[in-house]
Amino acid sequence: MLDLLPQFLVNGIITGALLAVPAIGLTAIFAVLRFPNFAVASHATIGAFAGYGANVWMGLPAAPSLVFAFFVAGLFGLVSDEIALKPLRKHGALTTAIASIALTIVLENMVRFVFGNALRGYDLPLVRDVRFGDVRVNPQQIENMVLAVVIMAIVFALLKFTRMGKAMRAVADNPGLADLKGIDAVLVGRVVAFAGMGLVGIGGMLFGLGTSIDPLTGFRFILPIFAAAVVGGLGSVPGAVAGAMIVGIGEEMSALVLEPAYKSAVGFFAIVIVLTFRPRGLFGERAY
Amino acid sequence: MTTWKTVFQPTRRGVVLGGAALLATPALLRAQSGPIKFGTLTPLTGVGGTYGPSMRDAAASVFTAVNEAGGLLGREIDLVTEDTQTNPEAAVRAVRKLIDVDNVSAVIGTWASSVTTACAPLCWENGVMLFTVSGADSITQLPHMGFIARTQPNSILQIQVAADFMIREGASGMAWIGPQTPFAQSSIDILAEKAGGAGIGMESLIYEADKSTYRSEVDTILRSNPDFIMLGGYAADSTVVLRDIWQAGYEGKIIGPAYAVNATVLGALPEDVTEGVFTWEGAPALGSAAYSNVQAALGVEDVDPYSAQTYDHANLAVLAAASAGDASGAAIKDALRTISQGDGDTVSDALTGLEALGGGGAVNYSGASGPCDFDAIGDITGTQFLFKQIAGGAAGDYERV
Repeated sequence: MLDLLPQFLVNGIITGALLAVPAIGLTAIFAVLRFPNFAVASHATIGAFAGYGANVWMGLPAAPSLVFAFFVAGLFGLVSDEIALKPLRKHGALTTAIASIALTIVLENMVRFVFGNALRGYDLPLVRDVRFGDVRVNPQQIENMVLAVVIMAIVFALLKFTRMGKAMRAVADNPGLADLKGIDAVLVGRVVAFAGMGLVGIGGMLFGLGTSIDPLTGFRFILPIFAAAVVGGLGSVPGAVAGAMIVGIGEEMSALVLEPAYKSAVGFFAIVIVLTFRPRGLFGERAY
Repeated sequence: MTTWKTVFQPTRRGVVLGGAALLATPALLRAQSGPIKFGTLTPLTGVGGTYGPSMRDAAASVFTAVNEAGGLLGREIDLVTEDTQTNPEAAVRAVRKLIDVDNVSAVIGTWASSVTTACAPLCWENGVMLFTVSGADSITQLPHMGFIARTQPNSILQIQVAADFMIREGASGMAWIGPQTPFAQSSIDILAEKAGGAGIGMESLIYEADKSTYRSEVDTILRSNPDFIMLGGYAADSTVVLRDIWQAGYEGKIIGPAYAVNATVLGALPEDVTEGVFTWEGAPALGSAAYSNVQAALGVEDVDPYSAQTYDHANLAVLAAASAGDASGAAIKDALRTISQGDGDTVSDALTGLEALGGGGAVNYSGASGPCDFDAIGDITGTQFLFKQIAGGAAGDYERV
């Protein structure tokens, strides 16, 4: 079985890179708005279907379709946050988190109402894997991973070098102080709700590119996405990337010692271990 | 002072006396007033969502026809529809509502074996008849006292038939790959037994459902170099597995249950991936009058096996109640085999059957899914199987056994 180790490692890195994008979205929302938004599941689905529309109906290639997935999921994120979650935030994080569960069920069923339950595949040419020695990798996977890395680089650059990025980090680090400095926390909150869910939408489509999509697409990823964000430290963007790699590689490598039927246990196990020994996650909760 | 409040205020004595009087009313009298309630409990959402809506519609078409012809036992049939979400927890909440709130006497159409296993005890404990399309052999081995009837061949029979097919087609190394389900281990055991009997190697792997990729699982199963792989999952995960197997460069044969490698899977995958894949299913009674009825009711040419079965469930429930002269779950249970098999006139829809029963005759219902004869534990007998092979993105008939 050890002969499969390099292959599992490659599979894990690819899975981790894809997980990182929605995990960044989730952790950014937590950093600024201070509640775990379970509606990431439905927004991943919405992004996947928006990308499907751009790819299959409008005939766009994968990369421009991802932009479409970002904007549609982001728009849903912004509007649903304004309507359903923002009015509840003053009642506490738990209330808002529970409302986000209700929101995700509503949105998932809206997708189901419009698109039905049938599985849908993107219009991409399917090619066989390329072999490098004993390790095989699919060109589509490499493309997806490159897209994920580019998106992460853009997010990091925006957070570090732009005025809005700095404002987001300021609000995440100390909302009171940011307010004193004249930063508009409401505007920052809206931008984060939009961009965070946009990233989650991209994540939904990136996963869909490798498989097929249905209204439950986002629901399938919610545990590893949460595990990645919690392991890295909820609120920390670099932490989300590291957490995604740990969960992605951990899940794939677990096949060496565990029955594959228990793969998801790795995500739970990682959460339990990290919360036991380092409750703030590997990177703490500094936004950047 | 007497006010309207004191006049209409219920006194404690009044409530007790009223309650006692209500309890003293024979249960039969209470049950016989108002409409007869039946429930459909199909997967309208979740992985079974591809089938649930048409399963419900097929059953509903029977009740609509009976109502239009004057009802059952002089009463209207009221159909209550619930959704299992292809999820045992949601299904238990739904079946509780059907039993406790709606007072249905029969539940029709549970699909996933895990859902049926969870709902069945509530049905038999409350004297409600459960008609199911689930395949796990453990279901009819439950202590259900006759309250379960299934129209789907059990998984033992299904896997045996498919394993024989794989051997006939020249398999020299077999593999089974599928998610954790109530029939996963029994499927592996049967395939291993058949492979052992034929002197063929056999590998198996149970994976976790609802994952976006199974590349590592596929790598693991391909280590044994199988040349015939059996899929054991449902549509969503089979799509991923088929794609991953193809991308891995596998050139051997593949067989999957027709409910897993279905039209939506073929639509979602490129033709290259599914080319040559075999499927098998309990064959509906193509060309039968009942099958034509379902085609007309659903407005489709190809009726899926589950909608054919729920159409039969509805007809069986109506005819059993009519035969017993009582629409309770226990009466339907007791009368089921008197109208599903035997020497009576062969009928293929409830209306013809009701007419025959009204004239004092006996009936033998033969449905859209097959002859609908049940053994002592509620399993179907006499089912045919249809093997298909996919070419150019469409499944064509290959062999009928």
